[in-house]
Amino acid sequence: MHQTKKHSVFIIVLLLALPFVAGVHLIVGQIDIDFSDYWNALFNFDGTNSYDIIAREIRIPRMTMAILTGASLSIAGLLMQTLFNNPLAGPYVLGINSGASLFVAFSIMTGIPFFTSTLGITANALIGAFVFGLIILFFSRFLRAQISLLLVGLMLGSFTSALVSIAQTVSQADELKVYTLWALGSLQKVEFQHLMPILGVFMVGIVLTFFVAKSLNILVIGEENAKLLGVNIKRARLFIIALTALFTGLITAFCGPIAFVGLAVPNLVRMILKTQSHVTLIISSALVGAIFILLCDICIQLIEPHFLIPINIFTSLIGAPFVVFIILKKLR
Amino acid sequence: MIRIEQLKVGYHSALLSFPSIELKQGEMYALVGRNGIGKSTFLKTITGQLAPIEGIVFMNSRNIATIPFNALPRFVSYVNARFPLVDFLSVHSFIALGRSPYTNLLGKLNSDDLDIISSVIKQLNITHLKDRFTSELSDGERQLVAIAKAVVQQTDIIVLDEPTAFLDYANKEEVLNQLTSIAKAMNKCVIVATHDIDLVVNKGIQFLLIDETLKTGNIYDTTTTKVDILATCFKSMHV
Repeated sequence: MHQTKKHSVFIIVLLLALPFVAGVHLIVGQIDIDFSDYWNALFNFDGTNSYDIIAREIRIPRMTMAILTGASLSIAGLLMQTLFNNPLAGPYVLGINSGASLFVAFSIMTGIPFFTSTLGITANALIGAFVFGLIILFFSRFLRAQISLLLVGLMLGSFTSALVSIAQTVSQADELKVYTLWALGSLQKVEFQHLMPILGVFMVGIVLTFFVAKSLNILVIGEENAKLLGVNIKRARLFIIALTALFTGLITAFCGPIAFVGLAVPNLVRMILKTQSHVTLIISSALVGAIFILLCDICIQLIEPHFLIPINIFTSLIGAPFVVFIILKKLR
Repeated sequence: MIRIEQLKVGYHSALLSFPSIELKQGEMYALVGRNGIGKSTFLKTITGQLAPIEGIVFMNSRNIATIPFNALPRFVSYVNARFPLVDFLSVHSFIALGRSPYTNLLGKLNSDDLDIISSVIKQLNITHLKDRFTSELSDGERQLVAIAKAVVQQTDIIVLDEPTAFLDYANKEEVLNQLTSIAKAMNKCVIVATHDIDLVVNKGIQFLLIDETLKTGNIYDTTTTKVDILATCFKSMHV
């Protein structure tokens, strides 16, 4: 079983690399903040010390969200790729983010105060992601070619952005501002007080994901064969889509739409590890995704003094060529 | 053991009917009939994937309709005509999926599971394949691997839908011999849909022949000849 040993080594290396990269992420910002400031910010917070405030309200949330974004979107992508038996599936390309955006846009435009609160936006993002997950699931029943599902996802995205544009033209200035700020997307908008609840939801998602690992392992050989091994396909599909929506909705609510991470990372991990064991794939994808977004954000911070690149643009720059590579390799 | 009672199978209306017959442990049955006559429909019905139009299927004297679908894989294993080619899925991992009806919620294999898997791999002479990826197998190797997965499932009944369809002559022989020895040595009831009549006559294999004009199926014993088969299953060809 040298294969399993190789996987363990890979995961241990990632586990050691993650805190290192996260540490680098914390110290590359323009203002020098050392680790004692971080210690104080967490355990000995002084609201009048500007270093403490930067550490607690800006740096720590940004680093945490970078990790959670990478991990969540990568797991969501992995779940979708296995469920749809399609290496090109992912929360962004299949329009799951679009669902979250649409629901958030419409609810903000109603002007009801609850819907512009953090809780309201999060709830709507989760529901929107789930509804669009169900729509994609519905269409996938009628599609044979792998590329077709992608095109449907693309159309879903276009249709949604058209609807959002219409909503924007008829909305009030205040609501438009709330939506526009939200839709820009960034790792920096999360407040410290929101980190624990976000982390809590993420952990629940991770634990539940391990419970579908067995179904995912069997789904790899196709739904028909999985059914013959006793997998309740309908329940598994719904459960997997709900988890995908949870991860994607959570991240989209706080950081806006972030492209291609969910598609690229699980493919990369599968190519490196050459396995279909989903416990290994879930852990590895989450870690690689987290490190990937941390590295992207480190680059962004390093070039920030010169010009500002949103995280979404950065992941597209790297992710889109990689997706073309996957198409060339797997779907010629 | 499978016992069927006055069975009618089909999707909306009955395609085929069967009298009350019993398929025993330790025997291999070759299911022969014309293309499109309903062999797969019959196999799907006796494996619980499709409800009968009429009649009852008993599996180890239990009415199949009363077995919950997630318990069914412990009674019967089914080998599809289509083998899934999956990148990065090793032969060992694929065969191990046959243990999934017995593993816990997380799907962890215990040492018993691993012992069963390696003994079946040895028995079928596919040790050299176990670290290969399923996407890299030849047609003959694929069938042996699919059979291995069915055997590790440790069911009394194994049903195969045309496992020899795309194989060369030597591989057809190999697969059919392996299946016969599994039925005899492991005391299993093996049912194989096949068009390779020449390879199943006089091999100690029983027959389930589908009558071309009457649209009925029945058991014929090991002494059945090719002429008998042609006269039952391919009447229109003869006259």
